[in-house]
Amino acid sequence: MAVCAAIVGKDNSPKFFCCVNPDEELAFQFKVLSSLDIIEEKLNPTNKSASDNRELYLGQLYSLETCKIYGYVTNTKIKFIIVVDSTNMALRDNEIRSMFRRMHSEYADMVSNPFYIPGEAITSKMFDANIKSIITGTV
Amino acid sequence: MALQGALAQYQASMGLPAELRAAPLALVGFSGLDLVNNAIHKAIWDTFHNRSERGAVLYQSISNTHKFPVLKPRRNTYDWYIPKGILKRNWLAKHLQQVPALIAVFFDLDWKEPQWTEKMIECASKVQSMRAALEGRDTCIVVVLIQSQAPMPEDPLAAERAVALCSSCELNSQSLYVLPHGQHLSGYATRLENAFLELCQAYYHSCVRSIKQHKEHLNKNAHQSLYVRHQFKMGVLSELRQDISAAHKHYTLAYSNLQEIRVVDTNALEIRTVAGFLNYKICRLLFALNLPRDAIGQFKAHIDRFRARIGFSELVFEHWAWLSKQYEIFGDTFDEAVKLGLPAVQTQHPGIYYQQAATLAVARKGACLELCARALAYPHPDPLEGAESMEFYGQRPWRPGKVAAEPPEPQWESSGIQAIQYLESQINHSGVIISLYGLAIAQYKIYKCPRTRRHLVLQMADECFSAQDYGKALTLYTHMLADYRAEQWWGVISSILEKAALCAYLTANVEDYLQLALEILAAPVLLSLDDKRRFYENFNRVLKRQVPFGDPKLAHEALQTAIIQWQPVLGGAALNPALDIAQACLDVKWRFASPAFPVDQPAQLALFIRSTCPFPLGATRVAVQVATARASWDLDVCQAVTFQRDAIQRFTVEVQAEVADIGCELLVEGVTVFMGVAGQSEVSLRFRPPEGADERPELSHFRRSRPVGHFDAMQSVSRALVVPRDSHLGVRFEHAPPALVGEVYDIAIVIANEEACAISELRLLVSAEAAVEFSSDASMRPEKTPLALPLPPTLEPGGVATARLWLRASQPDIKAVAVRISYSLTGERPVVCVMNDSVTLPIVQPFEVSAQYLSGMMQRVSKFYAGERFAVMPLVRFLSPWPISVEGTALEFTHPVRALEDAQSHLAGSVFNQDEVGTEVVLAVCDRQADQNLVVGEYAVTWQRANGRPTTTQVTLHGHHCDWIPLTLELQAPAHGLVRTPMIIQYQLTNQSSHLVRLDVGMEASEAFMFAGYRQTVAAVLPFSTKTLRYNLYPLLAGSVALPRLVLSLPQHGNEGPALRPDQLAQLIERTIPCSIYVMPQVKGAPPLPALTA
Repeated sequence: MAVCAAIVGKDNSPKFFCCVNPDEELAFQFKVLSSLDIIEEKLNPTNKSASDNRELYLGQLYSLETCKIYGYVTNTKIKFIIVVDSTNMALRDNEIRSMFRRMHSEYADMVSNPFYIPGEAITSKMFDANIKSIITGTV
Repeated sequence: MALQGALAQYQASMGLPAELRAAPLALVGFSGLDLVNNAIHKAIWDTFHNRSERGAVLYQSISNTHKFPVLKPRRNTYDWYIPKGILKRNWLAKHLQQVPALIAVFFDLDWKEPQWTEKMIECASKVQSMRAALEGRDTCIVVVLIQSQAPMPEDPLAAERAVALCSSCELNSQSLYVLPHGQHLSGYATRLENAFLELCQAYYHSCVRSIKQHKEHLNKNAHQSLYVRHQFKMGVLSELRQDISAAHKHYTLAYSNLQEIRVVDTNALEIRTVAGFLNYKICRLLFALNLPRDAIGQFKAHIDRFRARIGFSELVFEHWAWLSKQYEIFGDTFDEAVKLGLPAVQTQHPGIYYQQAATLAVARKGACLELCARALAYPHPDPLEGAESMEFYGQRPWRPGKVAAEPPEPQWESSGIQAIQYLESQINHSGVIISLYGLAIAQYKIYKCPRTRRHLVLQMADECFSAQDYGKALTLYTHMLADYRAEQWWGVISSILEKAALCAYLTANVEDYLQLALEILAAPVLLSLDDKRRFYENFNRVLKRQVPFGDPKLAHEALQTAIIQWQPVLGGAALNPALDIAQACLDVKWRFASPAFPVDQPAQLALFIRSTCPFPLGATRVAVQVATARASWDLDVCQAVTFQRDAIQRFTVEVQAEVADIGCELLVEGVTVFMGVAGQSEVSLRFRPPEGADERPELSHFRRSRPVGHFDAMQSVSRALVVPRDSHLGVRFEHAPPALVGEVYDIAIVIANEEACAISELRLLVSAEAAVEFSSDASMRPEKTPLALPLPPTLEPGGVATARLWLRASQPDIKAVAVRISYSLTGERPVVCVMNDSVTLPIVQPFEVSAQYLSGMMQRVSKFYAGERFAVMPLVRFLSPWPISVEGTALEFTHPVRALEDAQSHLAGSVFNQDEVGTEVVLAVCDRQADQNLVVGEYAVTWQRANGRPTTTQVTLHGHHCDWIPLTLELQAPAHGLVRTPMIIQYQLTNQSSHLVRLDVGMEASEAFMFAGYRQTVAAVLPFSTKTLRYNLYPLLAGSVALPRLVLSLPQHGNEGPALRPDQLAQLIERTIPCSIYVMPQVKGAPPLPALTA
């Protein structure tokens, strides 16, 4: 189970942020921000290593002592970020990948919602609950 | 003072000793050099010492009385030896700085020295004394003779004396060197250095071997620490001989041996210290071996191994300090490797380690605050005495050299702990942490991690805050705000704002405090309403010059200090802070009503102000600054307004631009909102136009779904163009299109003043694309463009002025003629007006001219014959929609074509409509043969349209090529004959060549005629003469009757004349002889016979 998930827009402004432990939200925000540096570098078109642009999953971005951070970027440059506790060995790359995919489809549903204005922060409680259940693995 | 020393010692003990950090260089001692008195010696020393590409050698000057460290007696057995520690503190320094691997004895001696024996003995004694001083160490001794002359090859004296010298000094012959001090000193120095290095390496190699021999005597139980020590020594010696892979092997063995030692409380510190040393060496060597991944792996394993070994719970901070130091050292090592060319990447660079070091330093600080509060005084007697002169690295000064098994003495132990706690509490932790953050920030900047860097800056600011350096913290916080604002991380912004406001409060920084308070009051900032209310009240208090209330979380003393700082600030002179607002609880947008304004009307600027503050905000005044390139305006928008939450206030102002601003942009430079009490404490908030469009195009579609005029969807429009006012002139072009090519075309421009008042300074400029000639007068005098047409300068209302323009085009085309009319209105304010108009003018050809060429028989010909006449028939096909009258035509022939008659124009005086064709015929002859198509002549048509001016158009007529044959033929016959009345016809054969032409001439019989003359004959035509054949014809039938056929043929024999071909003859006849003639019937009655004439 992951401890935090974030959706960041094309302009790097946060669209959605959720944390299992709300007290640590600020600390996680900083971690997510730091990992945006890596994402930006990976998306940098001058960077040759960004080879296969069909692959949305970016893999592990950061491995800190307390947590591991994974990234995923849609074609429209919406960034999904998942933070996993580094003591958690149960989550393999594949699980993370499928977590991202489910997050992506939730986000796609959200964007299709006529009451949501794309580009604004997501405030839907339903969405929040869905993402939380994805990252905590209760789905 | 003693305490200072102890503190310095304590801090130094955390890091690496200098001798460990120093790069290991082979030590070479120079003896016998008098650096003070002897210039040559000094030069030699300087050459060696200051060489730019010095090898791994350290030179040391050794005086004659130098004392080397005493050599310990060799131990044959280690059976009863119990080591007291792992690494001796003095060993490294001894080998790096005190015991040279090689001693070079310098001696001034030439081979040709007259007092050779004395000098030789002197030299030998010097060597002997040096050997004695070394007391049995294996250090190499070499002798370097300083000579004034360059050595000569194959010098028998030199060879003999060298052998003698070596034997007297008890040296082998390889240990004697000669150094001529004349030229090329540095070259000799390089070679000597290489020789020295080799000897040094041999020395260090032998040292390694001798240490290796000890291994047999050791046993694992008693001598574990010796295993470590020996491997470490071998590692250092291998490094000295520059064998880094061997050194790495030894250090790794030392490290693994170290792990086998059982860790207890008493040796924990020592093992940790030594492990740190070894790890440092291993990592450094791995980087040098270009194995950065292994280095990082080694470091991670090292940290993992020691992270959990905290040691004394009273000295936890020591553990954190050590860990932090390990990270910092690794960061330094990494950074050093990067500077030497190792490529680092974004996810693996020195900054990461500096950051960890800083984090651990924070942990150390926390542990210190927790544990050291009780240590209020330094204990006496000093338990740390002699810390700097300990025998081993990493041992506690209060129990030096104790074997692990011995139990510690509790009294000393606690006193020592207290001493360390006291020293720890004296350390400036924040300084350490901030400098580590500084290092990390610099690295993250290099590796393109702007956001991580910002986070570090914030952490640095937090540390500054806790170090009570509020000013610096405030600066750091406010600098970071802008970047977070740009990415709209409101959670982060809120936390920064709160801290920054606290800093501003504590430093009594009015401007920053007010600015931060305004930003905190904005809606997206996620602070509780109570907090916001506090800032709102404080904002108003500052404006009323009252000390704001502090944050309830602040300590009492800090509050007091802050209040003391606030009082002079608020009690002083007028307080008028001007704040540049990037983000606040007021959102201001503005827009010009249209993108362009005529200069005679005021520009309408609408201002929208929305408050997101949960409490009402009052403003004394709102002003807007508008500027053009020339002038600027500061316009008051409103006075004394109150902004309620989420209510949008709309204001309108008008800006009146001047005539001089035409073509410039009106630019809103900013909006200023004044709050507070005018004259006393009035804060001005300045809102600047946003930089760049913040709207993202792909989302604009969704934004549009909001109601029009919604505040969030609104874009500020800061620019409007000042344009000239719209003109009310009526302009009419009077002309008869299309214009014809070449004609002088007349356009009348009729200007009617439909303005309300009189106009003056009326000017009219005409311009068009190239290839059109303009003139203001019918003579088409060339004038420069744009052409100004004469006009009366003033025009009363309702008045009409006409300007005439003449133009001429040389090509058919469609041209636009642009007209620019400028004038000023004579109202109460002179207003310049400009009107642009244009007329599109098709230009067509008036007619087209083609030509046909006919033979004398009025048949179309495709070539001319020299000397034979032909007819030129120009055809003029009229294209103009307007009737054209032709004044005259003229055909000027070009040599060699000439006219055969004085032609007069048949077209002159005729009027042609569209699609009519006029034609005339002129007879001409060509005098000369021409292979190319001839230019027959220039056909000039002078024409005009009704009421127009005559124009002459010249067209070149192109003919055919011209052949030459020697013979011409002509028939002279009357225009008609009469039945049964004889008539005479003559055939004239003319020879144009200089040769005789013979022809067989025949006349075929015809039913219509009886005739008299040669039926068959041979005609010989002399050169340049004419032969005439006469026939008397008696017509029998009336009508257009075929003449008897003339047959010319070339004689079959003896044809020596000019080349004439039968087909040419046949064509000649066909071309020049009519084949029929009109024969009239007989008049009734008997008319008189016409006279026969020929």
